[in-house]
Amino acid sequence: MIWSIGWKNVWRNKARSLVVIVAVILGIFGGVMATGIMQGWIVQRLHDGIHNETSHIQIHHPDFINNEEIQYTIREYDTVACILDTTPEIIAWSPRVQLFAMMQSDWAATGTMLYGVDPVQEKLVSEIHLNIVEGQYFDDDYRMPSMVISSKTAENLKLLNYQVTEEKLDSLLTMEFPKDLIKKVESIGKKRFRTEKDFRKALKNALGQKQFKEYGNTLVDLFSFYRIRSKVTVTLQNKDGRIVYATFRVRGIYKTHNSLFDGMSVFVRKDDLKAYTNLADNEVHEIAVLCTDKETGTRVAKRLSGLIPGNSVLSWRELTPELAMYTDFSNIMGLIYVGIILFALAFGIINTMLMSVLERVKELGMLMAVGMNKKRVFQMIMLESVFLTLTGALIGLVVSGITIEILSHTGINFGVWAEGFEAIGYAAIVYPVVTTGNYISMLLLVIITGIIASVWPARKALKLNPVEALRTD
Amino acid sequence: MKVIELKNVEKIYNDSEFKVHAIRGIDLDFEEGEFAAIVGPSGSGKTTLLNMLGGLDKPSAGDIMIGGTHINELKGSKLIDFRLHNIGFVFQSYNLIPVLTAKENVEFIMQMQRRPAAKRLERTRELLEKVGLGDRLNSRPNKLSGGQQQRVAVARALASKPRFILADEPTANLDSVSTENLLDIMEQLNREEKITFIFSTHDARVVKKAKRVITIEDGKVIRDEWKEEDVR
Repeated sequence: MIWSIGWKNVWRNKARSLVVIVAVILGIFGGVMATGIMQGWIVQRLHDGIHNETSHIQIHHPDFINNEEIQYTIREYDTVACILDTTPEIIAWSPRVQLFAMMQSDWAATGTMLYGVDPVQEKLVSEIHLNIVEGQYFDDDYRMPSMVISSKTAENLKLLNYQVTEEKLDSLLTMEFPKDLIKKVESIGKKRFRTEKDFRKALKNALGQKQFKEYGNTLVDLFSFYRIRSKVTVTLQNKDGRIVYATFRVRGIYKTHNSLFDGMSVFVRKDDLKAYTNLADNEVHEIAVLCTDKETGTRVAKRLSGLIPGNSVLSWRELTPELAMYTDFSNIMGLIYVGIILFALAFGIINTMLMSVLERVKELGMLMAVGMNKKRVFQMIMLESVFLTLTGALIGLVVSGITIEILSHTGINFGVWAEGFEAIGYAAIVYPVVTTGNYISMLLLVIITGIIASVWPARKALKLNPVEALRTD
Repeated sequence: MKVIELKNVEKIYNDSEFKVHAIRGIDLDFEEGEFAAIVGPSGSGKTTLLNMLGGLDKPSAGDIMIGGTHINELKGSKLIDFRLHNIGFVFQSYNLIPVLTAKENVEFIMQMQRRPAAKRLERTRELLEKVGLGDRLNSRPNKLSGGQQQRVAVARALASKPRFILADEPTANLDSVSTENLLDIMEQLNREEKITFIFSTHDARVVKKAKRVITIEDGKVIRDEWKEEDVR
């Protein structure tokens, strides 16, 4: 019955209890959303980091890590390949030639890391081929060597152009854009703009401030196009130390959520590169290894270090320590968010419970007089506090659970800050992730808060003298 | 058989400036089945005496024995447990728990005694029927009149099967009809089930019904009268 009294006491002063319950609902909702968004980003970043950038394990010549020079190829490649093929936890591995190169289009130049890959093996360890936004990923045979570059590199090489074309103007009509706007856009003419900045300037002049603000971004996207099939000349150093020049044709444009990685990574076929570098088939700088999961990856990396001592074997944890840290702390950080919110709410709960105790001094005196011991008095007040907090928490968890479920499918678009997010490797659209473990931990935290918040009011009650308490009005 | 024995009991309240001698060397016995009223003017020490009998207050000197136990030697949870199993209380302002029904108000005392649920329910029904509230089991205190609330309080006091019941001005807040009704019920319980009742009261109607009247003045018993038909 102590449970029943505790629960019924919550509803003695409905308005006061509801204020606390609503505060707890909002607090839990805020905490769950913050946790979900943060974990959503971490999950996305971890997935992208492993599947686009590092894989689970990378093997290099020990000196290549500090000094990325062409002669530091992996030692005893054939033995390493044999070990990788016979390790059951490894799903796939891909050898890469990795060189720093200068790239030059007809309009601009930029420095990047050039990856010579075997497309068939590379597709098994990396998802770059799934991020192609225009063109294709080494799918056809061409006479001239092919190259897959990122949209960022295309921009740097001025291969991302802007032009008002008849075809796209027609599409504006079908999309029911205002006719006066279409006329204004048409007035820009068919001039090709090589930078976004120049095209925006022309658009702004044609549309005026108001229409540019409303339609500018959509029109910039619509009239942009990549100059697929453009020639790019690559300058690199071959195995003998000589500078050589190679010409590739851009066949595909990819885009990941990490603009830093995109700006520095260009892919060509390993076989195409061989003619310029003079490297043999078994001379590669990097082997990317994908395992069954990330924990296995860490374990296998340790084992491989012992099996191939002449090379450096690094797991994703060592390659991207910041990702490892985020992963380790993601659960704790969620609890810290909710903990801070509950800490603030605890003062409100304490206040409510104190008022509740001070309002029924006479009743508590009676209970003590008729034989309710201190343990039961404490229990009764503690249960009341826990029920009060738990009611809000359960509603809060259900509401936020439903919201998270919906948002995990639709995503939350932070498109306004897309450039900033992508500069540090995060997607502008985040799909919140909250695990069952997170919900359970939060529930436990709420119960603990309820218990802690009841200590002071319960102590007040326990200090009452039944005779004096019974005398109060 | 003696239920309560008081030997030379004194109570002195030590204020910072004054010493108040509330009870001055009282010797009293109460037998099982008594229906006694303690009367006296305000400030005479009635409530202080009742609090000491109930183990809510300790005497400054002397000894109080209840069923052979020196209750002034009991402390903390032992004293609380002693009260739970041996003493029933009826208060002037009923003091029912407002969020519980009449049935729950009676039952929770037995739950604290860890009695089985079926027995609790059976006894709760029996007691509420005895005080004439068999049809109000599920009513909350705010749906009951003052007299009905006090009858629930009597049922609650009886629930723990105590050695005796202490009632501090139980009729002070009741009208004459409710008072008569309550006194009749308590008298009946005393007569038929030999339940010991000790009242502190100003109410002449209670005094009239009492079989023993103890008058206190300035912390001393100045008269201890037995009605003719109930001489020990």
